[in-house]
Order: sequence, then structure tokens, then C-alpha cells
Amino acid sequence: MKSPLTLMAATLLAATLAVPAMADTSGKKIALSNGYAGNSWRQSMLQSWARIGNQAIADKVVAAADAFTTAAREAPQQAAQIQNLILQGYDAIVVNALSPDALNGAVKQACDAGIVVVAFDGLVTEPCAYKVTVDLAETYGAEQVRQMAKRLPKGGNILYIRGVAGTSIDDEITKGVLREIEKFPNMKIVSTVHGDWDQTTAQKAVTGVLPSLPQIDGIIDQGGDGYGTAEAFRSAGRPLPVIMLGNRKDELVWWKQQIKEKGDYDTWSASEAPGMGTFAFWVAQQILDGKDVPKEVPMGILYVDKETLDAQIAATPDGGVANVEYSQDDVVKAIAAVKK
Amino acid sequence: MTALRREFFAKPWIWSFMGAVLVFMVSLAFTGGAGAGGMAVAALSLAAFAVVVGLGQMFVISLGPGNVDLSLPANIGLASAVAMKIMGGSDAWILAGILAACAGGLAIGLANYWLIRALRIPPIIATLSMSFIVQSIDIAYGRGLQVKPPPAFADFTDWRLLGIPVFVLLVIAITVVAAIALDRTLYGRSVLAIGQNMRAAWLAGVKVERIRCFTYGLCGLLGGLNGALLAAYFRGSSVDIGNEYLLASIAVVVIGGTSVAGGRANVPGLWGAALFLVLLQIMLNTFGADASVRLVTTGLVIIAVITAAGGRRQLR
Repeated sequence: MKSPLTLMAATLLAATLAVPAMADTSGKKIALSNGYAGNSWRQSMLQSWARIGNQAIADKVVAAADAFTTAAREAPQQAAQIQNLILQGYDAIVVNALSPDALNGAVKQACDAGIVVVAFDGLVTEPCAYKVTVDLAETYGAEQVRQMAKRLPKGGNILYIRGVAGTSIDDEITKGVLREIEKFPNMKIVSTVHGDWDQTTAQKAVTGVLPSLPQIDGIIDQGGDGYGTAEAFRSAGRPLPVIMLGNRKDELVWWKQQIKEKGDYDTWSASEAPGMGTFAFWVAQQILDGKDVPKEVPMGILYVDKETLDAQIAATPDGGVANVEYSQDDVVKAIAAVKK
Repeated sequence: MTALRREFFAKPWIWSFMGAVLVFMVSLAFTGGAGAGGMAVAALSLAAFAVVVGLGQMFVISLGPGNVDLSLPANIGLASAVAMKIMGGSDAWILAGILAACAGGLAIGLANYWLIRALRIPPIIATLSMSFIVQSIDIAYGRGLQVKPPPAFADFTDWRLLGIPVFVLLVIAITVVAAIALDRTLYGRSVLAIGQNMRAAWLAGVKVERIRCFTYGLCGLLGGLNGALLAAYFRGSSVDIGNEYLLASIAVVVIGGTSVAGGRANVPGLWGAALFLVLLQIMLNTFGADASVRLVTTGLVIIAVITAAGGRRQLR
């Protein structure tokens, strides 16, 4: 005897069984601790967080996914912010840290209070925190050199534009670039300047150094500075080299324009996607769910090539950076890959 | 002849120019003379931006001890966004965009003065607080996006006359007007009088508060103008576009021979100091110096130039 009621109950039961992960964290609250919102990357990061977070709340995966940004770009403020989040009773805090060690005290307090801490982008050195790591030396620094070698088979003079001096990101990427370029003796770095990942700064630095340089065949950089570099070459009236790009909308539009004007312009673009905050979100959710998560979860970076160029330009807002939002499934796979 | 020489070296601005020439020569010696013209044009272009804000800062600093405008970087960032958004990529709206940027800057300057005068907040705190407010407005208004300038405005920064960028010539013209205003007008003399002794100036009939109000407004306006120009030259607005000008605006004033204590200002020195600082960066980039070496050298050379200039002034 199958009444409609039992059928309904059975369906309901089946539906609940199909998504067992969701029931366990539906009462959990996750907070994002952020120290800066003044550039397009951070704006995209916050928007992605809000989109994925709100969806997760609607799906009853978590109870809250609130984002907090400090008023000033100062580590002590962020430390105080984390202490507030502890008092507010969040179950997990996802941190994009302004300083690798200035937040360690607050992070330790959170861990001691039984709160899960996951750091991404700006990492913390406190060992109790989980980290979303990106192997920038290999996936970005060394990969750029290989991509450049493909496009300059005969080699040539390279101008290397570094990021903000003294940061771990700049050190890592540079390590990868210098390590890999030794394998290509026909490519030579003839000059290095700091562009600080900022098109204005990069344009200033390149404008200043360019008159004294020989012909430049390729630009290796750290992203965000490609458009400013192109402008510096244009205003100096120098032939355009192969400029590696960093997924910013203006860089991608510029690339498209070069293809249109010159018939072809072959380069390569990559960057950490601002959506990596959503990756960290799912890592936190998995930990809260009781899953066995390693302390470091590696994440890939987002590449744009000629095939995906049009789609990325269409999807990226003006002044923004190409983005991808990660799903729970992506993170589950990434965690499984580490365990192998 | 010795008297002439003494007068020459007594000019407080001469040291910054000598520093600029020296650094330029060293860079050229390193490259074997290659790229002299390109380097000079690059230096002039980049120096012009520091001169525009330096002018405003110079008038403010000349008002006497404690007077300084720390809201310039935020002001410049907001103005770059306002200018680009109003222009909206259309050549017809260029003038409106520039005027809006200037008006926004002026409003910030006047608001600074209001905080200082009505709420009696020291200028350092007042303008710093203002910079937080302005930056927040900019983040909300510009959403961290880079908006591009219209083609004609962007091209304008490439126009050259006798090899020199036209906007640089315009900035030179502005500095000439400012120099005349400082030396020959009631306004300029009043600023210096206030800087030397505010009470004495007031007793002598100088309209102290009106002059201070005008000066903070002028500084804000120049910040706004700079924001619009920077967005055109760098092909896009950004929140961070003015960051460099917090220190740079003060450094060009001080290295240029203006007294930090107020009451003595120097317009030509702004150009010398701005060229010197830009060429110093170009030189260190040309050498391919390590970032740490770069910062140490910049600091040491600035100290050397200020000591040379300051030492001479005391002899007088």
C-alpha cells in the first residue's frame, strides 16, 4: 500500500540523503576578514564572496557568510577586527591578511576559541590556520618564461617588471622567473624595474628606464602592469614587444585591439582570480563539515588565452579583473588531490 | 664676480637644479649617452605632476608652522574618477570633466579649511581625516574601477611642441603665474606675511582667514586638476593614482627651498626638486639597483641636497 504521503516522505528522505554534507553545516556562521577594498581585485573578491555566500545561505549550506573590511589598510585594525569576530561567535573566519605575522596573535586566539581560520591571498604564518596556497613560482613565474620562450623561439631581450619589493608574492614569482630563464640561454633579462602591480607605477618606471635600453623583445611581469607598460612603449614610439598580461579588463581589451589592428598579437595572460575567496569559503565549510582537510590546500591560477579571450572580456566588468568563482565540488576535488 | 657667485649660490632653488643635472649626467654616463632626449622628456612629464600639487602644497606650507594638506592623494584619486566618469569616454565632455574634477578638489580644500577654522582641528589631523572620508567616497563612487579617458584627452598628453609635451608647457605657464602671484600680488605677499607671523599680519590689516581659506581651496583645486591630468596621462583613473603625491608634494616643496616653518616660498625650486626626484628614480632604475639599495640611496641623496641647501642659507 503506497499512499501519496509515504511516497512524499520517501522522496524527501531520498533528497536529504543525496546531500548529506549540507545538513551538518547549515547552522554554521562563516566570516570574511578583509583589510582593503580600494582596488578592482578586492572589489571583485567581495562581490564573488557575497554571491557564493548568499547562494550557500539560500541553499541552507551555512547560516551566515558575512564580509568585514577594515576602515584603514592597517594590520592592527585587522587584528582587532578578528578579535571582534571571535566575540561575535563565528564558527569560521576566512582571512585575507594585511600582514603575514602581525595577525598571528589574533589568529591564535581564534583557534584557541575553537574557531576554524582559513587564510588566502594574504597568508598568515600562524601554524594553526589553514591556508589556500598558490605555487606562484611555478604556475606563474616559471610558466611565464616558458610561454615567452614559445613566442620568442630565437630568444631576445627581456624587461622584467617586478611587484612590490619585499613582499612574499614578488619574491616567489621572481624565484620562478629566474630559475626557469636559466634554461633558455638565448633570453636575457636586460633590465628590472618595480611596477608594484599597478599600471600607473609601471608606466612611470618603464617610461623612465626605456630611453636607455636596447631593443626589448619581451616583457615578463607580475600582472596589473601590462597596460601601463604598453602605454610607456607607445608614448616613447618604440616597437611593441610581447607583453605578458595579468587578466585585467583593460589588458584583455588592449590585447583584443592589438589582434584587430595588427592581424595577430600572440601573448598570454594569467592571474590569481579574485574568486579565490570563494575557494577559501568552501575550504572553511569542508572543515566545519568535519572533513579531513590538509593544512595547505593548493589552488591553480586562472589563465586566459586567445580562445577564451572574448568570453572573458564579456564576463569581466570595466576596470575589473577576469574572475572565476569556485564551487564546493572544485574544493572537494582539490582536497582529494592533495591526499593522493 | 665673487659677489655674483655668492648671490647665485644663495638662491635656495639652485641646489635642487644642480642635483637634477648631476643625477642626469650620472645616468647618461652609465648608458654612454644613449637615450638622453627620451630620458629628459620622460623626466619633464613625470615631474610636471609633482609640480602641480607641489604648488598648492607650497602655498599651504607657507602659511606657517603646522599648515599642510595631507588630503591630496585621496583628492587626486577621487578627481581622477570624477573626471573620467563625467567624460564617459566622450570628447565633448572633456572640459566638463576637468571642471568637475577642479570643483571637487576645490570643495575638498574648502572643507579642509572649514574643519581647521570652525572645529579648530590642527591642519595635519583635519586634512588626514578628510583624506579618509574622501577615499571612502572614491571607493564607493569609483568602485575601484579604472575608467578610460576619451581619445582626444588621452592624445593631448602626447602632443609635443619643439619636442616638449604641451601639458608640460602648460604646467610651466601655471608655475610662472604662481611665481608672479607670490612675488607681486597682494595675495602672495599676504600668504608670506601670515607665514612669518600671523598675529603681526592680522594687526597689519591682512585678511588672515580669507587668505587661509583661499589657500586651502587653491591647493584642493590643484589636486583636482592633477587628478584629471594623471588619469589622461596614465590612461585611466584609479583610487591609488595619487598615493605617491602625499610625500612627493611635501618633498618638492622642501627640497625646492621653501621654508617648512612658513613665510618663505620658492616656485622655481619646485621644478628643480621634482626633476631631481624623478631623475633619481630613473637613474636607480637604469642602474638596475636592488629595491633596498634604491630606497637607501633615495633617502641619503635627499638628505645631502637639503643639507647643502640649508647650510648655505644659514651662512647668509
